[in-house]
Amino acid sequence: MATLKEITAADIKTSKSVLNQLIDVIQEDLSGSATRKKYQVFVTGGVGPGVTSSLFQTVYDQDFTLQTANPMFDVTVGLYASSSTVISSSTGVDTAGKRLFKSSSLMMREKVDNYRQFAQVLLGGADKKFVAPFGTTADETSTDTVNEAMFISFKRLFARDQVKRGTFAMRWYQSASRAPLVGTNESSDPLGNGILHYGPNLYVPTVSGSKIFTDAGATTNKKSTFGGQVADIVDSSDTSRKVGLMFYDHGTAVFDLGKIMSGSQHVSGAISAMSDAADAGDSAAGTAIIGGINTDNKGAAFIPDLMCSASIDDIIDHISTVRFSSGTKTAMTFQNITNINSTLIFCRSTADEFNYSSNPTFTDSNNRIVVIEEGSESQRTVTFPTTVGLYDANSNLLAVAKLSRPVEKRDDKDVTFRIRLDF
Amino acid sequence: MGFLDHSTNNIIIDAVLTDKGRELLARNDGSFSIKFFALGDDEVDYTMIQKFGRQVGAEKIIKNTPVLEAQTTAQLGLKYRLVSLSNPNLTRIPNYTLTGEGLSTDKSSVTMNKTGQDSVRSLSLGQSVANENTIDPEVQDQAFIVRINNRFLTIGTNANVVRPRSISKDQVATYVFTRDAATTGIGGSKLSMTLRVRNINEERFTAYGDGSTIKTPVTIQGVQSGATTQFEVQISK
Repeated sequence: MATLKEITAADIKTSKSVLNQLIDVIQEDLSGSATRKKYQVFVTGGVGPGVTSSLFQTVYDQDFTLQTANPMFDVTVGLYASSSTVISSSTGVDTAGKRLFKSSSLMMREKVDNYRQFAQVLLGGADKKFVAPFGTTADETSTDTVNEAMFISFKRLFARDQVKRGTFAMRWYQSASRAPLVGTNESSDPLGNGILHYGPNLYVPTVSGSKIFTDAGATTNKKSTFGGQVADIVDSSDTSRKVGLMFYDHGTAVFDLGKIMSGSQHVSGAISAMSDAADAGDSAAGTAIIGGINTDNKGAAFIPDLMCSASIDDIIDHISTVRFSSGTKTAMTFQNITNINSTLIFCRSTADEFNYSSNPTFTDSNNRIVVIEEGSESQRTVTFPTTVGLYDANSNLLAVAKLSRPVEKRDDKDVTFRIRLDF
Repeated sequence: MGFLDHSTNNIIIDAVLTDKGRELLARNDGSFSIKFFALGDDEVDYTMIQKFGRQVGAEKIIKNTPVLEAQTTAQLGLKYRLVSLSNPNLTRIPNYTLTGEGLSTDKSSVTMNKTGQDSVRSLSLGQSVANENTIDPEVQDQAFIVRINNRFLTIGTNANVVRPRSISKDQVATYVFTRDAATTGIGGSKLSMTLRVRNINEERFTAYGDGSTIKTPVTIQGVQSGATTQFEVQISK
């Protein structure tokens, strides 16, 4: 008599399988300030109220103050230390080797450090540079070098074990729309110097002219590097145009901002700056106007001016609200991979096993087994298992498996339950 | 726990690790090792066969018994085990009869007091089967598993308090006792034990009871038969 049956080594098998999940990131998740969390750890002192900024921002699938919100990915920007954007903004190097920058720039060392950190983790050296197409030899002046980078790192909750090759796509708006000017002719040239007077274009969501950047071709061109598997991200309308890199094992996408946005486009708007009320001019203390008609940098462009002068928060705010637009369309999509290791346990009950039950309804008040009809004592019992319990040698219940419906177990019938435990 | 989808002909198995399983897995010392399996039929009502006959009753059980999702609490994961008996001709199987101090007339509860002589109760459990002179040796339990709430009760007298084999995160203490040497008149196994109320403070009577009484279940299961009996202990201030 027994209620437990031993599981032999022959009854246990292991197997591996793969689970893919489709992940969609909606434009509003990026553009909304409630779904994008800032960590303002960078603080300046000195002139005016100072500037605070994050080193990166995290995008959530809903209001991040809600406990049900899930972090989807982190986004940040970085600059290659030897790029012309960094060099031209620098005033030299001090005796300790620290690069010095003009006062009109902001967070330059942090932007360079961001780039170096990703290069160290993904390329194996902080001094290395990202190059798209991956693996090509390129100097600092080459268009293949990613001098101004945007990094998108998907959280493990969504990337799982890795991003699946050939499934990534991103909808991106290359140019920035402008807010209308009130009381002034749009695109006028009031100073007669060739600098047109436009409305601000830092935070107005672009509504048309999107591009799709994708890792198409990654399934056949399987490269790997220090940071694991990698492939080029290409312009879907011209796949020979390599605009970034996807690191599948890390779940990190690196984009060349110089290729995916119209870097030379005139930029105009208020950004955080170290300025007091007297310095700020038309804007409030703690801010500055970039590309304004009455400013020294009338002809400012997104690259290099915004990349140098704006804080990382301001750049990410611009990218999130303008370059991904704002709406219900998909901004990014990919599939992830979860590797599942399974233990298959075959629970075999032979014909003459498990044919009685300790269920209270199995017997009536006189202890008579109710599945044997009265007067038909030659009948054999029948049971209906719904549950399989897996025990250790000390009778601890380690795992429970439920069947979706009861199974009839008679004394002329073997039943084998295959239980899969996933790890 | 919700129901499992039973709308298809395919039988889907929903398997989960229990809290105990996860605890042992986390130890990383090889203590997570599956050695045995048991089958259970917690949701099944066998009186359907009594009411509708073997053919229709079986169909009703199979088709009309929605099965609940797997429970991760080890104490609750599998209540009613199926039993393997070599004798295929049994028509009756024994159950338990509870006797002792403080038992209600329907034997579903035992009254105890926080202090005084009623804080200790001697109880006895015996296997019995109606209309039979003997119990098949194969259905005699050689050991019993007793589960009580460790916050309120212990087993044994002051001088001889028994240590539980394990205490769960919910403070359910599990004891294992071998059967008494003596048997019932028809050869059934017996278990004698002494329940003792712990020192319970006033706040616990409010937190776990109605302010004056705490009700807590006691479960006894035969190791061989898998048969279970439950009663409630009512502890008054």
